[in-house]
Amino acid sequence: MKRTILMFIISALVVASLVLWVLKGHVAGNTQEMIMVGTALVIVGFAVYLGLQRLRSHWRHEPAEDELSKRIMLRASSLAYYVSIYLWLFVMYISDKTTLEAHSLIGAGILGMAVVFLLCWLGEKAFGVKHD
Amino acid sequence: MTNRIRELRARQDISQLELARLVGVRRETIVFLEKGRYNPSLRLAHDIAKYFRLPIEEVFLFDDGAAPKRSA
Repeated sequence: MKRTILMFIISALVVASLVLWVLKGHVAGNTQEMIMVGTALVIVGFAVYLGLQRLRSHWRHEPAEDELSKRIMLRASSLAYYVSIYLWLFVMYISDKTTLEAHSLIGAGILGMAVVFLLCWLGEKAFGVKHD
Repeated sequence: MTNRIRELRARQDISQLELARLVGVRRETIVFLEKGRYNPSLRLAHDIAKYFRLPIEEVFLFDDGAAPKRSA
């Protein structure tokens, strides 16, 4: 239960930071920044979904995590790490060919890693973990 | 590997949630097992077979012809 509460607190803090960032006028409103904010919101949505799943398990008197959920998380993490190496190689490649500043590229890379993890997790859920 | 969990569960008239609680996993794990999308750990296979009071090989059916090659 502590981890579930922590997930909700972190999600709320990320949303609050995003709202402050937008309200303080640091967001120019261009397409690139809107994509970054949108991606961050999708990732927060994913964290909230995982938190709600854990809450539902708690209400059903099931364990919040079991061998399947841990294995899905482990496999998604390892695959995401592997794919992220290529993502950063791509970021390094485009860094010379774009006018984006270094901090924007790093931000995009970090958000990209989170999206890759989300996609890997969805893939593991959809196809199952049969061949271990 | 296939299994007879759905059939045995129907025979004993218990829900996926009840079986999940009895063997200490989430309902989703039982759903994945029944759909053949997850191969359980030996511990979980043992616990499920024990609940149905059957040997593991009568609950989980191995297709020996499809056994994966293992390197030395």
